[in-house]
Amino acid sequence: MYVDTLNTRLIGLRGLYRAGYRSVLAYRADLLFGVVGLVIQATLTVVVWRVLYAGHDEVAGIGSSTAVAYAVLAACIQSVVMPWQFSSLPQRVIRGQIGVDMMRPRSLISQNLAQAVGTMVGRLPIGAAGLITGLALGGVQAPHSLLDLLAWVVSMVLGIANIMTINLLVSMTAFWTLEIGGVLILYRFGSAFLSGALIPLWFMPGWLQPIISWLPFQAQIYAPLSIWFGTRHGAELLGTLAVQLGWVLVLFLLLQLVWRRAVHKVVVLGG
Amino acid sequence: MTTPIIEVADLTKEFWRPDVRPGRFAGTRSLFTRARKITKAVDGISFHIDPGELVGFLGPNGAGKSTTIKMLTGILVPTSGTVTVAGQVPWRDRRRNARTIGAVFGQRTQLWYDLPLRDSFEIIRDLYTMDPATYRTRLGEFTELLDLDEFIDTPVRSLSLGQRMRGDLVAAMLYAPPILYLDEPTVGLDVVAKGKIREFVAEVNAGRRTTVILTTHDMDDVERLCRRVVIIDHGKILYEGDVEMLKAQYVTSRDIVVHCTDFDATTISSPFAQVISADPFKATLRFAPETTAAPKVVHDLTSRYPITDLSVLEPDLEDVIRQLYTERTPAAARNTGS
Repeated sequence: MYVDTLNTRLIGLRGLYRAGYRSVLAYRADLLFGVVGLVIQATLTVVVWRVLYAGHDEVAGIGSSTAVAYAVLAACIQSVVMPWQFSSLPQRVIRGQIGVDMMRPRSLISQNLAQAVGTMVGRLPIGAAGLITGLALGGVQAPHSLLDLLAWVVSMVLGIANIMTINLLVSMTAFWTLEIGGVLILYRFGSAFLSGALIPLWFMPGWLQPIISWLPFQAQIYAPLSIWFGTRHGAELLGTLAVQLGWVLVLFLLLQLVWRRAVHKVVVLGG
Repeated sequence: MTTPIIEVADLTKEFWRPDVRPGRFAGTRSLFTRARKITKAVDGISFHIDPGELVGFLGPNGAGKSTTIKMLTGILVPTSGTVTVAGQVPWRDRRRNARTIGAVFGQRTQLWYDLPLRDSFEIIRDLYTMDPATYRTRLGEFTELLDLDEFIDTPVRSLSLGQRMRGDLVAAMLYAPPILYLDEPTVGLDVVAKGKIREFVAEVNAGRRTTVILTTHDMDDVERLCRRVVIIDHGKILYEGDVEMLKAQYVTSRDIVVHCTDFDATTISSPFAQVISADPFKATLRFAPETTAAPKVVHDLTSRYPITDLSVLEPDLEDVIRQLYTERTPAAARNTGS
């Protein structure tokens, strides 16, 4: 009888991870446009924010250099982990290929997450190009200390796990309604706004701040970037990481629940 | 007596659909009404399949074939009844069941659309944790058998239907599952492509002792591949058994065609057969195989007339199936879709 070990599980998902980045590389022109687009975006961001800040040292307590760097870094992260097509799941549900996915010896959730990680790796060159542009123009500075850098890496990993879980959760809407385009647009805009990818959350009006802090989105991009800029130390830093980890766990649990309902819908009602 | 590898007993699947009554605001009302209509897609069927068999699973559109296959693969949970596949209940441990079955659904592909065919095979190699040596050998054999060489590095989205189907077959058989489900694998293919697919199916069944369940509307597939068939309609079994027996049961008459050039064929007659059509060069005679053996009719005709050519027509499975479907179901009551 076949016995699963951690090793066989990882090998099992290796193929899908590769499928993720190979699918990105399959469309080279798309990737190239992504790189060019982000270089232009990063350049414009640096120029425009500097103009906006001309004559002001601080807005809402945030200095010019931090605001510029934040905008560039957020754009880089967004281009890597929040692509327009973040999951092939809805398409596979609509085409009926989901049945085949369910006949695989690995769970559907792990298959999808492995592929999402692959897609992210495939898009890393885009983010790297943006980051290099930002550094070259003097718009982005490295974290103040090695500790900040390490904490940022941990925080970013948790942020990405958060993003991928929510992406998959939203994609699973396809099990209930095949018209998922509207849901995706709403989600895309909502998460970009609430995660701090569009505008740093420092600039949000006072009444919105507590709402945002109770939502999972601020743990996606705002939290890791705050750590990058060294605004969190000691207990506050650990607290931020704990909240991020908590969100990942809660979201993953939610994903399992939703997936179980989805399976029930497919296997009992026939899709 | 071998133990069956697939056992199906009293299998039933009901679907619930919102009951939409025609009339004004039917669409709007359906949003609020809780009235439901039950349809029985599969209605208490039982059959079993022995290891190494190649069984045709036939029925008109909407007969319940795909629903049954989905329950055998574990994608659907039955409303009642039992299914055992290789000693397991397919939907209870879907991941374990995965290693014992392979499947090809002709209407949809399991390959990765954006990637070269070879990448899909590598993903499957990893998913089923095949060791690299076995993978290489088997892919080599299949590549030769199905001539994959010319398109294995082409993205799946650029493949022709026949090439894609060959790719799908290899994807289903790479990890050598003991059971293979084929749901309309030859649909829409040209004669040559169909031939290749049949050759491959025959080889995995005979050479590799794979149990194959074949769903198809192509009676050539059945005649060339299957010894036994299960025929269902309206969720119930119409026939289960030997293809030859089915023909014998339904073919109550057979035809002989004679050609002649030296005399008028319209004058031909025989005490053993009835002339059903004749022109000066050709006559068709019908006899009942139950009471009269074919050689007897042939001998009678050849001894009395100067015949240039003679052929006994094989009973046509397609006619048999058509007869079977129409006898049991008024055409108007049949619903379409699969």
